[in-house]
Amino acid sequence: MVNIIVCIKQVFDPEAPASAYKIDAEAKRVILKGIPPVLSPFDENALEAALRIKDAHDSKVTVLSVGRNLSKAVLMKSLAVGADELLLLEDGAFEEMDSYATAFTLASAIGKLGGYDLILTGREAADTNAGTVGSGIAEILGIPSITIVRKVELDDGKVIAERVVSDGYEVIETPLPSLITVSNELGELRYATVKELVASRNKPIMTWNAQELGVEPPQVRQARLLSLFIPQKENRCEIVGGETAEEMGANLALKLRAAQIL
Amino acid sequence: MEYFLTEQQREIKNLTRTIAEEKILPVRAELDEKEEFPWEIMKILADTDLFGVYIPEEYGGLGGGLLDLCLVVEELSRVCSAVAVSYAASALGSFTLLEYGTEEQKRKYLLDISSGRKLAAFALTEATAGSDAGAIKTTATRTSDGYILNGTKQFITNGGEAEIYTIIALTAKERGARGASAFLVEKGTPGFSFGRKEKKLGIRASATRELVFEDCLVPEENIIGREGIGFIMTMKLLDRSRPGLGAQALGLAQGALEAAVDYARKRIQFGHPIIAQQAVQQMLADMATGVEAARALVYATARMIDSGAKNFTQESAMSKVFASDTAMKVTTDAMQIFGGVGYMRDYPIEKMFRDAKITQIYEGTNQVLRNAIAFELRKKKWVGD
Ligand SMILES: Cc1cc2nc3c(=O)[nH]c(=O)nc-3n(C[C@H](O)[C@H](O)[C@H](O)COP(=O)(O)OP(=O)(O)OC[C@H]3O[C@@H](n4cnc5c(N)ncnc54)[C@H](O)[C@@H]3O)c2cc1C
Repeated sequence: MVNIIVCIKQVFDPEAPASAYKIDAEAKRVILKGIPPVLSPFDENALEAALRIKDAHDSKVTVLSVGRNLSKAVLMKSLAVGADELLLLEDGAFEEMDSYATAFTLASAIGKLGGYDLILTGREAADTNAGTVGSGIAEILGIPSITIVRKVELDDGKVIAERVVSDGYEVIETPLPSLITVSNELGELRYATVKELVASRNKPIMTWNAQELGVEPPQVRQARLLSLFIPQKENRCEIVGGETAEEMGANLALKLRAAQIL
Repeated sequence: MEYFLTEQQREIKNLTRTIAEEKILPVRAELDEKEEFPWEIMKILADTDLFGVYIPEEYGGLGGGLLDLCLVVEELSRVCSAVAVSYAASALGSFTLLEYGTEEQKRKYLLDISSGRKLAAFALTEATAGSDAGAIKTTATRTSDGYILNGTKQFITNGGEAEIYTIIALTAKERGARGASAFLVEKGTPGFSFGRKEKKLGIRASATRELVFEDCLVPEENIIGREGIGFIMTMKLLDRSRPGLGAQALGLAQGALEAAVDYARKRIQFGHPIIAQQAVQQMLADMATGVEAARALVYATARMIDSGAKNFTQESAMSKVFASDTAMKVTTDAMQIFGGVGYMRDYPIEKMFRDAKITQIYEGTNQVLRNAIAFELRKKKWVGD
């Protein structure tokens, strides 16, 4: 049986209108009003990757999430679509962690769970877009990792992954255990069926706090947020004139060059 | 309002809503404009078990009833009635089989229908036989090899797209309505072809098409029930399916109400949102009341049928008439609240308005159904009721 762990972050819906986001510059915090929490979209892609492996191989999929005030209703979605168990790492100490602390905490939990073959994460979280937790976990656990993957397959104890590059993809192979960060090109997370939705209510949800996990996240933040602000956008509109279409085109080109766009 | 749905029914409703908002909403205008059958959406509904909500578990379904079906139809129609009717017509095409089919027929066809691998359709109407369904001319002549079908069905929902058709045809022409029988005919059967695809006012992404039978040989084992009970089965089928149509109208009305409230809160005239105008408030209050009353009637009728009631012609007709009249009124008023932009194709209201009208026409026009309600009233003894 293939033991797969998928790390999923709960974020505020990135599809919410920009006007719903406010910033408290003093506290360096984003204030969210009425925006529902969701699974981070790239992490949904990672879960879909795990489920596709499960479709093809006898597998167990464990979903792992770390944070504070995690919503069971939101994370239950992972059980409904086909994950086998959910482990929530919840503690006041797990709030506002930087990428290193998050990777450290997740890696500790994965180490404690043990027996894993493949770890999947999204390529980056939809809120911070840092994209470092996945590789961080692999580093801490001392296992190989492949980032930004659009297809994952298992073959005889190896992982074969297609890694997205700017003009195509690379095919990379690693032994198990290994870690893969998944990109949106892999495909959307499937819907749960009605049967799975009803059945998922009986699937196990485990919760560990910092003490149960047996580690405190590192107190010293490796990365510090210096300032947080919403950039001011200014829109100006200028009509480029000219007698003929050619002249208008030429004038436009000159303007664009002056603005260093061309 | 609290309708005390079961856990499974709540999951069904929520899941359908999610799919409708994520997958149908972004494409509904395009589907309507292109009059394109929503195959991709049908596939998602199939993959999530939704085609089987009302089918017993032994045939691959979820074992629910008509209320479960109504919940799906309502939620689909809240976003797009054309998708809702394409889904619902498959149920219409399977009810007669479900109720009167032999074990063998059910095993052969229901698994494909409950899994959504194949769509079904039901065909009664012909050019000469609309409200007067007894005037059908399509014949099914018995031979030693089976039945030979000849005739043309008109306005058939899912025509051309469905794989499995329930066809009403005359096995004994001279007996008129008493000589009708029902047959299962598969797409691809030699002699069965599709005629004109209609260009419609509304529900344009749904397929409405002629079915043409020219010496089409149907095996004897494809008759449903027995010869001569085609009309009785049809009347029972329509009694059973009408709350589903009520649900289509209900969902549509709900969608229009939500859009109208939303718009009335945002649209500023004379320095205030128009929802501050009493005239607008009164309209919205009536719309909301109508929608909730329609929901209560549709759900209650569906539950009555699910409980095993024997005669529900009147209730079922009432649920369809009331919900469809409500949908027409609510979409008309919603357009009024939107003002000029409501009339424009950039906003969803004009589509809802166009989609509403059909609910007063098909599965029995509202006039014919009022006749049926009145007929029951004339027979009724008001004791202990
Ligand atoms: C988009 C669409 C999809 C359809 N899908 C299907 C389908 O899947 N399968 C199928 O079999 N059929 C289908 N139909 C047919 C539909 O059920 C009929 O159109 C409907 O029953 C009305 O019949 P008709 O159009 O012939 O109208 P008519 O019967 O000609 O009615 C015309 C008018 O006369 C009135 N009228 C007629 N008789 C009476 C009466 N006795 N008392 C009072 N008023 C009366 C009617 O109310 C109506 O106002 C569909 C129709 C449409 C438009």
